[in-house]
Amino acid sequence: MEKSRAMIKITNIHKVFNTTHHVLCGIDLEVNKGETVVIIGASGSGKSTLLRCINFLEEPTAGTVEVDGTRIVAGGAEKERENKIIEIRKKTGMCFQAFNLFPHMTALENIIEGPVTVLGQEKKKAILYADELLEWVGLTEKRNEYPSRLSGGQQQRVAIARSLAMKPKIMLFDEPTSALDPELVGEVVEVMERLARDGMTIIAVTHEMHFARDVADRVMIMDEGNWIETGSPDEIFNHPKKLQTQKFLAHIL
Amino acid sequence: MEAETLQQGKAGIPGEAKKVLKQIEARKARYRRKLIVSFSMLILFMTATLVVLGLDFKFMLKWLPFILEGGGYTLLVASLAITLACFLAVIGALGRLSKNPVLNSIATAYVSLIRGTPLLVQVYMWYLALPQIGKSLEELGITGVQRLLTLPAVPAGILALGVCYGAYMTETVRAGIQSIKIGQTEAAKALGMTNTQTMKRVIFPQALMVIIPPVSNDFIAMIKDSSLVSLMGVWELSYRAIKIGRRYFQSLEMLILVALIYWVMCALLQLVQEKIETYMARGDRRT
Repeated sequence: MEKSRAMIKITNIHKVFNTTHHVLCGIDLEVNKGETVVIIGASGSGKSTLLRCINFLEEPTAGTVEVDGTRIVAGGAEKERENKIIEIRKKTGMCFQAFNLFPHMTALENIIEGPVTVLGQEKKKAILYADELLEWVGLTEKRNEYPSRLSGGQQQRVAIARSLAMKPKIMLFDEPTSALDPELVGEVVEVMERLARDGMTIIAVTHEMHFARDVADRVMIMDEGNWIETGSPDEIFNHPKKLQTQKFLAHIL
Repeated sequence: MEAETLQQGKAGIPGEAKKVLKQIEARKARYRRKLIVSFSMLILFMTATLVVLGLDFKFMLKWLPFILEGGGYTLLVASLAITLACFLAVIGALGRLSKNPVLNSIATAYVSLIRGTPLLVQVYMWYLALPQIGKSLEELGITGVQRLLTLPAVPAGILALGVCYGAYMTETVRAGIQSIKIGQTEAAKALGMTNTQTMKRVIFPQALMVIIPPVSNDFIAMIKDSSLVSLMGVWELSYRAIKIGRRYFQSLEMLILVALIYWVMCALLQLVQEKIETYMARGDRRT
């Protein structure tokens, strides 16, 4: 039996912007394989920054990030470290609030871009898998459309498929539904739910309280770069211990 | 509610709306007609002016083949210089955006120096001053450079134009690269792409779409600036026209002829630009 080891282990992460703006203040986070963690908190509390520190889109000022056995300590600059960062990024899929699909590529081309360019896969093989993914997110008929011809929800589903094409071990969602019209939120959340049920390890920053309540294994509340309270959805939503949590929940629910 | 049914066309478009649509169509057609008419009138007026001025068309026709021969030089110089300029522009832009202090300062100095001096001076610099540098180097004990640095007129012209336009285009390319949203870089990086892959696969193809109109501008300007090689005695288009015009005291005919030839070349280039732009904009909503 494989021993249950943390897929992501983040220790004492600090992030300081512009030498004075302390956004993350010594954050610890451990996520096990197959676990779905939802991070909620007021805007500006550091949720997105934490997520972006995991795949080094944001360089942590101090601390250690370990993803599936690849460990990086903040502050270094050696060549080997660059390779490690790419190593982590290959294992980590990320979905952005603004989708960030490549506008000069069709949906299919967007999806095969990672496998072909980064993993050096054969195009034919990549297309086969991309078509499976397109079907999985329900967009087979949009295969050859450019992003500008897709709705926000469709774009985000293509973006999810693009991440999944890399066969990542972890998916990071950075407010994936915040830029969507209300009627389009459901289709994206539904894909995320299926992903969680299929056993993907997920960390999501989201305001979708249904997703947090129904799908998350653990809900973590952040404020000013610190964890306020963490626990199961039931504990957080129905029996919050901290006053700050109660206030925050009252505000958003 | 009404707007929705209109859009979906379930109840059919009502008669009054159809009338408005027809009016809009008619207005557009009228505009197109007027545009064609006024353009033709303009051409007609210009031709008439030429006739009234008593232009010697026979003379123009007689010398046309001779002048056109010079077009070969013009095209050769312009196309090679453009190729060189594009190459320098991409390298220069990457240098300007580089975090490497050496590359960055070299690129910045290149742009500043070249943009800050007249092209005319640069042309003479390549043609007349470079051999002198060769001589000085020779005296310092580096043998064989003087011959290498003494350039014939055409290569000197190509280098001068290419290096000069490369500096202007460096800034165009840099601006194009910087106009691409940071989210594109982040998405590419998140997939695990290296800096080079990100630039090649994601940023540059999108930047290209932005920089094609200004770069075409440079191409067109370059076609015309290639006449500067005549300063070094190359018998290109404008040089021939001016020579012949002066010899027979019919400069007006020759200048008009050569101007028309330049115009046709640039118009063709513009056509190519439009084709490329349409292709580049394939993922764009506006098309």
